This record gives sequence, C-alpha cells and structure tokens, in this order.
Amino acid sequence: MSYNFEELTYSEAKDLLRQWRENNERRSEDVMELWTTVLSDDLSKLGNEKHLVLEQVIYAALDCHSYGVATMCIYILSNEFPGSMRVMRHKAALLEAEEKYDEALEVLDSIIKADETNSAARKRRVAILKAQGLISEAIKELVDYLKKFMSDVEAWQELCSLYLQVQEYSRAAFCAEELILHQPHNHLMHQRLADIRYTMGGVENMELAKTYYCQALKLNPENMRALLGLFLVTNNLLNHYKSAGNSSKRKEVWKLCQWAQSSAARRQRAARALPPTPDLSQMMLALAITD
Amino acid sequence: MAELLLDPKIRLWVFLPIVIITFLVGIVRHYVSIILSSQKKIELLQVQDSQVMIRARLLRENGKYIPRQSFAMRRHWFNNEETGYFKVQKRAAASQNPMTDPGMMTDMLKGNVTNVLPMIVIGGWINWMFSGFLTTKVPFPLTLRFKPMLQRGVELAYLDASWVSSASWYFLNVFGLRTIYALVLGENNAADQSKIMQEQMSGAAMAMPQDPKAAFKAEWEALEITEHRWAVANAEIDVLSILDDHQHEPQQ
Repeated sequence: MSYNFEELTYSEAKDLLRQWRENNERRSEDVMELWTTVLSDDLSKLGNEKHLVLEQVIYAALDCHSYGVATMCIYILSNEFPGSMRVMRHKAALLEAEEKYDEALEVLDSIIKADETNSAARKRRVAILKAQGLISEAIKELVDYLKKFMSDVEAWQELCSLYLQVQEYSRAAFCAEELILHQPHNHLMHQRLADIRYTMGGVENMELAKTYYCQALKLNPENMRALLGLFLVTNNLLNHYKSAGNSSKRKEVWKLCQWAQSSAARRQRAARALPPTPDLSQMMLALAITD
Repeated sequence: MAELLLDPKIRLWVFLPIVIITFLVGIVRHYVSIILSSQKKIELLQVQDSQVMIRARLLRENGKYIPRQSFAMRRHWFNNEETGYFKVQKRAAASQNPMTDPGMMTDMLKGNVTNVLPMIVIGGWINWMFSGFLTTKVPFPLTLRFKPMLQRGVELAYLDASWVSSASWYFLNVFGLRTIYALVLGENNAADQSKIMQEQMSGAAMAMPQDPKAAFKAEWEALEITEHRWAVANAEIDVLSILDDHQHEPQQ
C-alpha cells in the first residue's frame, strides 16, 4: 500500500497519522514523508493532536536518523511543557540515538531521581546498556528493575532473551514460565518455553519440551515452528527410549512423532505452489541433536 | 385570573444575566479546579506492593500452566517461613483516619473550595441581587407541588405554578447547564491531554491495596492453600485426538 503524499489534504494526513498511532504501526519513513510534505508548514492546524503528532514524528525522525527534525520537535514540546518528564525522556531518546550514551544516562538518572516510579526511564537505562553491548550489566539492571515492577511482561520477555544471549538457559526458562503465568493463552509463550527446554537437553527437559510444544499446537494448530519442534523432540526421545528399552513410552512418542511428521508433510504439500524443496524429514534429521 | 405580562426589561436585565453568570462561573470553576488539582504522588513502595500482589494472584490463577516444580519454587519464594517475600516484608499498617493524612485534608479542602463555595457565594449574591422577580414561564401547566421548586422567593399563593422566579431560574441553570458545559468544554480533551503530557505516565499506577499488611496476609493464605494441578499434562493426548480429527475433516 503506497500513498501519494503530495496529493493528501491536511485532514487526510492527520487521519492517516492517527490511524497508524492507534494501530501501533511504526512506519517511520512514511511518517517523515507526511511530515515534510504536508504537516510541517502549519502546526496550529493540528489542534488537539499537535502534541501526539509531534511525539510520533520525534520517534519517526530518530528511526530515520534525521536528528534535526527530532531536535526541532523536542524544542517545540519543551517550550510548551518546561520541566515535563515526558519531554525529558524524548531528549534522552535523542541522545541515545546519537550514541551519546553517557549524557542520555545522565538525563534518565535525573528523571528517575525526580520520579522514582518512572518505569519507562528505568527500562531505557537497560536498553542503553544493551546497545553498548554490556549484556551482563543490562541483566543486572533489569533484574533490579523487576524486583520493583514484578508484573511487567515486557521486561520479563526482554530478560528472557538477554539470558538466552548469554546462554543461561535455566534462568531464561524461569522467565519464560513467568511469561506463561502472565499470558497463559498465548501459544508463542508456550512455544518459547519448549524451545528453551529443548535447547537445554536431557530427558526431563525433552519431556517438558514435548508437552509444551503440544500445548502450543493445541492453542494454535497453525504454529509450524511448534510442529517442527515437536518432531525434533520426539525424534530425540525415540532414540533415548530405544536405548533405554522403555517400550510403552517409546510407543507413545512414536505415535506423536508420526503424527508430527505427517501433518508437517501435509502442510508442506498444501504449500506446494513453490518449487520443490529437498525432503523435509531429511532436513529435519540433519538439524536434530543426536546422541 | 388575568394574564400576567412581564416587563421586557426583565428579560434583558434578569433572565439573560442569570444564564450568562452561571455559565461563566461554571467555566471559571472548571479551570480553577484544573489549576488546583494536585498530582497524586505515588510511592515506589506502593507500586512494588501492588505489582507483587498482581504476580502472586497470577501465580495462583495460572500456576497450573507451569510445571509443578516451578510452581513450588515460586510459592516457596513468596510464602516460605524464614525468607518468603510475604513473611519478610514488613509494612506499617495503614493509618485509618484520613484526618491525620495532610494530603487527604488538602484534597478535601480543594474540593470544597471549587464546588461548594462558589455555589454558596454566587447563589447568595443572585438571591440578593435579583430577588423577587418572575423571570419566565414554562410552556405547560404544572401542579401546585412545583410551586416551592419553581417559585423560590416569590411566595404568592394564587400565582400559577408554571411561573419561574429568579432564584429558581438560577438553580435550574446550575443543574441544567451541565450538558452545555460538556459541549463547550469539548476543549476538556485538550486540557486533559496537556495534563497527561505534564505528568508523564508512571507505568503501573494502578490502585494499590489500602493496607498492604492485611493484603499480604490474605494473599499468603490464598497461595498457601492453592493446589497445583498441571493443566498441560494432557496436551499430547489432546493434540493427537482433537487435531487429528480436525485436520482430516476438511480434506476428506
């Protein structure tokens, strides 16, 4: 979908921006285009939405590295709301984008000092540490944050991926479980926990991974990643039970494995409009962790 | 009874001024209350408490989706006798008397200043300034019951009940203009928006328990008696039975 920005009237542009804002679409380049072609001539016509639009433009500008526009918008906002924490945060974001991390940290610290409950500023601190590549420091900061704001789903998710980066799988699994507690009906959360358990290895973890892949599939039968994960896990377990000689369990897993393979193959056949790919199970076997 | 005629000057000098005065006072009051309204400061500890409560509740409700061991570990962290969160955290019992809380006092005072005071002052002034006029007539007949409501300040026993006195006209305006304020102060939104701007949303500023100590104890008890029944245990069987049928059906 592309728009001819030159032909849009003022109110159309406004509506478009509002639509993007409400749907959480970032579309930074389009926002910038709209800003330069239509909106920037006359800010007063924006009326009530002026400040919201300015914020939208600030982040779009930061995404597109046009720091001049961002600086201007922040300047307008800070003239209207001197001493506002929210504008301070935009300033910190600008500094961050320009990679002036120390100054950004200073600004954020002053925000936190003024308002201890400002969770957004605290999270930005973690983001800065992450951008600098100081993963272990970022983890420490984030753990600190989570001690205070325990039901912040986003933060748990971020901590999970940070732990994965440093390969602390059991801790990442803890975070993933926390995510399941918060959103028990999101199949991606179950799939994530299963992924982590599978990566950890060992029979117990494999069993857990199998269960959670199944749960993810139960919640969303279209989840291909979970289906393939289930195939890998059952394959792995089959090998184990074969050597351990546990025939009843082996039979169960065998059934599951068969099912996963056949439904994956069926899905593949259904998508056969594409040129033929090498045999799926061959590919999967090449990926599998074998003893 | 002969038809009453009102002097047109009453319309110009009583009827309209009362409408305009009440309307303007309402608008001024709106802005004064915006200026006076104080930001509720939230303590970090309160946020932390409320978030802990949410997490404990989620553990109780959704604990069945995580493995037994993980559930037990989390419950241990909350409830364990020596180091459990709910046992270790000591919170002072909330003060019961709002009068001892100065913040509460000022809030109450501000509410009075912006709402009750102008009502009394302007009402009194209008009563004094425009007393004893009949201002208008409602276009339908009314029973005698309405006389004290519509003819305050004009105590005439034989006057038709549909005539409205100036003092009553003022009260009708005070209560009746509310929707018009809503219409005019559609700027309302603008005011609200800029307020949000100035404050800055502090993430989880949700309602926190009044008395953390009692709330912690209740949550501790609830968590203690929660049983863990793993809801995911049957997922494999479910997947095999349900999804198999489900996927075969459309193809055959």
